Amino acid sequence: MNHRYVSLPVLAVFAAVGIASQARAASFSGTVTLPGGRPAFGVMLSVSNADHTQTQTVYTASDGSYAIVTPYAGSLVLRARLANYDDATTTVDAGRETVSQADLRLEEFADAQGASDALSASAHNAVLPWKRADDRHVFVSQCNYCHQIGNSTTRAPRSHDLWLATINKMEGYLSMVTRAQGIRFASAMEQGFDGKPVKATHDYSPTDELARAKVEEWQIGDGFSFIHDMDVAEDGKFYGTDEGHDKLWVLDPATGGIESFDLPKSDLPRGGLFSGMHLAIGIFTGNHGPHSMAQTKDGRIWITNALSSTLMSFDPATKQFETYAVPGDALYPHTVRVDGNDTVWFTIVASNQIGRFDPKTKQMTVMRLPSNGFFRWVSDMLFPTLTRISSWFPDKVLLLDFSHHRFLGYTVLAFPYGIDVNPKDGSVWYAKLYANRIGRIDPSTLAITEYETPLSGPRRPRFDANGIFWIPSFDEGALMRFDPATAKFESYKVPGVAPGEYETPYALNVYWPTGEVWMAANNSDRILRFSPATKTFRSYPSPTRVTFLRDFSFTKDGRVCSSQSNLPAYAIEGGVPSYLCIDPTGGERDRAALVAAAPPQGPAPAAH
Amino acid sequence: MSSSAIAGTRPTQVRVYSLLLVLSGVFMALLGWSASAYYVPAMCLGLLALLLWSGRGGATFKWVLVANQVAGLVLILALWLGDRIGLGHAKLDVSGVALLVNLLCGGPLAAILGGLMLPGLRSGRRLFTWFSARPA
Repeated sequence: MNHRYVSLPVLAVFAAVGIASQARAASFSGTVTLPGGRPAFGVMLSVSNADHTQTQTVYTASDGSYAIVTPYAGSLVLRARLANYDDATTTVDAGRETVSQADLRLEEFADAQGASDALSASAHNAVLPWKRADDRHVFVSQCNYCHQIGNSTTRAPRSHDLWLATINKMEGYLSMVTRAQGIRFASAMEQGFDGKPVKATHDYSPTDELARAKVEEWQIGDGFSFIHDMDVAEDGKFYGTDEGHDKLWVLDPATGGIESFDLPKSDLPRGGLFSGMHLAIGIFTGNHGPHSMAQTKDGRIWITNALSSTLMSFDPATKQFETYAVPGDALYPHTVRVDGNDTVWFTIVASNQIGRFDPKTKQMTVMRLPSNGFFRWVSDMLFPTLTRISSWFPDKVLLLDFSHHRFLGYTVLAFPYGIDVNPKDGSVWYAKLYANRIGRIDPSTLAITEYETPLSGPRRPRFDANGIFWIPSFDEGALMRFDPATAKFESYKVPGVAPGEYETPYALNVYWPTGEVWMAANNSDRILRFSPATKTFRSYPSPTRVTFLRDFSFTKDGRVCSSQSNLPAYAIEGGVPSYLCIDPTGGERDRAALVAAAPPQGPAPAAH
Repeated sequence: MSSSAIAGTRPTQVRVYSLLLVLSGVFMALLGWSASAYYVPAMCLGLLALLLWSGRGGATFKWVLVANQVAGLVLILALWLGDRIGLGHAKLDVSGVALLVNLLCGGPLAAILGGLMLPGLRSGRRLFTWFSARPA
């Protein structure tokens, strides 16, 4: 590795090209090559700050070149990462106003184990030997539910009994498998996760568009944080709900400054209404479980508290919280959105309800959704009661001893999950994750109309500006398009990164200016960008292994952001969660800035 | 009276209900393999079948079924009307206790069979006579 420093005159050019905001920046340019010397396309070139709490990444162009402008200084680590090759890293002592050239060469892995360890979870869970065809479907739904399975933490070899114990623990977190499925899953994982190297060649299909992008990551919280959702507020700051610690984490992306605010205490025990489950152990140290956010025009941020069944507001101006109880037997308020009248709508997953709150009158309405069958009706009636019985015996998870999902499966619940507001008519739409339905609520009459989805696992949908409803099919790795005007669905299968591998799109959001859909791809450490015009997906590989993203939010300048939300957070590469933003043209701007600043001259020997 | 003599005079109603109680108990036990709480109604159904078959413990038999019916009724009413009559957070406590009592007394299948058998346990009816003919 060789790097040189650009002289002061070059820095003067920097200022001239109008990158004043990045004037105190360490910048790098160079090329990344493959073992044979060919240019490496689509390489993630990441630079971390000196204390490794922030990272910025650009992607190499088809000629292997890259350019990145960072706000960092000091002893900085540069890392080049590309699927199927070993990482190349180097450390550069960079001043704040320097441009360094760093050429890196990727190498083959030294052994099969190294190659296997670098593969995303999708390669490892693809080899699980399923004896029954429908087992994989349930496995995807219930075992990929809130974390990857197949990453370095979850693929450790275990005996059948240890897998059974692990599955039982996961059931305490509300993974809903039958006992028979649990036994079969334990067998599959005992056989499939045997510690032997897995062979796969991953194709993230780099494009010229990818090389225009830049990724920023800011570490937030600790290894036991569970930052479920992150939202970009009107003040430009990033707000994240830490469901594990009852905290709100606020990042100012302009300065990198982080604040945290503790939610007010409640009288509930640790784990809230779910104290009878395993939720209180390890990850969950609070009793509110802040989950999802939406902002009203007055600036207040509305938070659904899943464990305490409350709705909470946070005023960024006064830093004050207000708590509003969700009445009745509501269990697990989930995704929240605000309509054009500033009415707050949210799903209540475990009791099959929708909540509606008017901040002006402080009137809360909870409406029960159609049960969609006898056994789901039984669940709607009894699930809150069983949860209460469980809470009388903390940590004993008695719910599992009573619930009919243990012999009928997870589909005994409807699980209204994602929710959004149609910009065309103000109607409120939700997706039932387990009942495979979407539904429309008339905001005036509260009349409900439901539609069966062609694919299962509709999770967190969003509307585009034209009133088209975009729905991720988590269980079947696809994107669904629903036109409310015609009640017609179209489906688009998400391409895997290798044959036989599946994808788990959890959530999406639509960037209204372009109509493009940004979607999580939580099994293969990437983010997807779908163009409705060409009906094609583009992949943005994540610089961080074990990327599990939930809600997406956009900044005013067009960055798409989310939170690293794998459970547990300590399984994420680096050991803590982070906020992540993709700037689709940020890499292009960095490249233009450095080109304008005149690139350093002379050859540079490659290093790795 | 010898056991064979009892068997010979055992009314058809007793035979049918005993069989249904046993089958219900077996069904609950199968569910219990997946969700162990169902072993409780399975055992209760087995006990009820034994009492009915032997013709002993008529009072116990009757009051277990009555408790099952009452608990089931309380459960339904609490879930149905609990919010309307202002039970608040107590609603789920009431329904929880009712559910546990119902399961302890045989669960939903015992409730269905109890609805059929309880009329026969009134004075002068066949099941009442069957239990009355034998020592407690």
